[in-house]
Amino acid sequence: MNAILAVWNRFFFAEQSPLPLAWFRIAYGLLVMITLLLLKPDWIPWYGTHAWMSLGTMRELEPGLRLNLFTILPQDDRCVIALFWIFLASAFLLTIGFLSRLNSIVVYFCLASIQQRNLYILHGGDTFLRVAGFFLIFAPAGAALSVDRLIRVWRGREQSEVPLRRLWAQGMIQIELSLVYLATFCWKLKGAPWIEGSALFYVFHLFELQRFPLPDWLLQPGILKLGTWSAMVLEFSLGTLIWVKRMRYKILAAGLLFHLSLEYSLNIPMFQWDMLSAYLLFVDPADLQRSWNWICVRVGPWLGKPVSVSYDSRSARTRRLVNLLVVLDIFHRLAFKPSGETGNRTSTASETNNRELILATSIGPCLGTDVRLILAKSIPLLWPLVPFCYFRTVAQSRK
Amino acid sequence: MFSPSPKRTNGYLEAMLVYTDGTTDYWQFPRMDRLSFTERYSKERYRKFEETLADSKFADLWPDAARYIARHAPDPSKRPEMIMLILNWSDLVRNADGSFTDLPWQSRVFYRYRVEPEDLNPQ
Repeated sequence: MNAILAVWNRFFFAEQSPLPLAWFRIAYGLLVMITLLLLKPDWIPWYGTHAWMSLGTMRELEPGLRLNLFTILPQDDRCVIALFWIFLASAFLLTIGFLSRLNSIVVYFCLASIQQRNLYILHGGDTFLRVAGFFLIFAPAGAALSVDRLIRVWRGREQSEVPLRRLWAQGMIQIELSLVYLATFCWKLKGAPWIEGSALFYVFHLFELQRFPLPDWLLQPGILKLGTWSAMVLEFSLGTLIWVKRMRYKILAAGLLFHLSLEYSLNIPMFQWDMLSAYLLFVDPADLQRSWNWICVRVGPWLGKPVSVSYDSRSARTRRLVNLLVVLDIFHRLAFKPSGETGNRTSTASETNNRELILATSIGPCLGTDVRLILAKSIPLLWPLVPFCYFRTVAQSRK
Repeated sequence: MFSPSPKRTNGYLEAMLVYTDGTTDYWQFPRMDRLSFTERYSKERYRKFEETLADSKFADLWPDAARYIARHAPDPSKRPEMIMLILNWSDLVRNADGSFTDLPWQSRVFYRYRVEPEDLNPQ
């Protein structure tokens, strides 16, 4: 009993890196935004006051208490459009991790509302997003890779290392994914075409679902039979063996191939990506970090030479600024040196009243507005600021 | 997906409009197999909706759908009097030798709706 309790506590309440959750938040936000943009031409036909299905009919068909903001909105298409724009803006802010908790709540309420407004145009991926969105509200979604974290670092509440968090809500989304596969497998056991191996034939011969053409050899009865049974085995494995750490990556890789092949062959928009997004939660944070480092090593040389930044570590403001830059410098383009470590530049750092960063460049130390420009050029996340820094530098040089 | 059993029928919906002057017109739902790759990605919700609409368990949806079609009649200068929802389908049949055949297309009107003036200008 104690062992079970220990496993339970470790799974739900042990402190872990929030990095996989942060990647999931980004993927989740993007998926919600893409779903909304794909729906955009039909916001009014599906959800307007005189839509394909009236709000009254929906209530009659699906009675009971439901989370549906449309029931309290004024019956006016302008309000419907406004709701969608607020939803889209909130999904964007959730993606970048600004006011993550608030925006996860707004996104969940809006997502639940549009789904409850018209339940008859949904697929499993939509439902998966809604349920995952509910758990995301309780997760520290903005703990890493977020604007929220940049603000905390700037305010001195966090250092450059991402603090560990309790991730029970992440565990719930993992369980959700596993249950989706397991339930699908059990449900398929009740269908004769899946047992006799003919299910994929029907699936690939439905004109309305076809996307890109498949080679003829893949449509042979023997191959389709094998494919039908393989899909069932894979769904069972994704629902169970995914929890066995030793087998996890192999199962995830097979699941990835499975969903990508369905994305190619079947026209079910976003379903495959909705499911795949939760795979990120099963990746070990250390492996995510290793993968990122691998990318940095390959991308880094294309971003120019690393820049050496010297700063006065006695100034609290400068330390916070350096922490902020460390967090922003995702491709590790900056090398930070506290004053006292850069030889003769120490005196220069002290002379600048502890507030300035000094960059070591090929033409000597660099200060002031030039620093901002060089930093903005060196850190890809700051590239949007390059034009502003450039104009400021030019304006200062004219003065 | 596709559980417990995938569909064994290819199908699509359309609507026939009878105007007050006796002329007729057809209203086409977006047909996935006739759309471009990008269009069918954004219009797929219609396929799902058609699937539901064609199911008699959801007959309560039919009047709303008919009214929507009446409001979006292909010829706005005429007033629709009657909307008929039509299901077209072709069954996929498995042969004894393991191969499959598409049976010929069939059609049937599964709902008729008499359009009232207030349906066209709802409050």
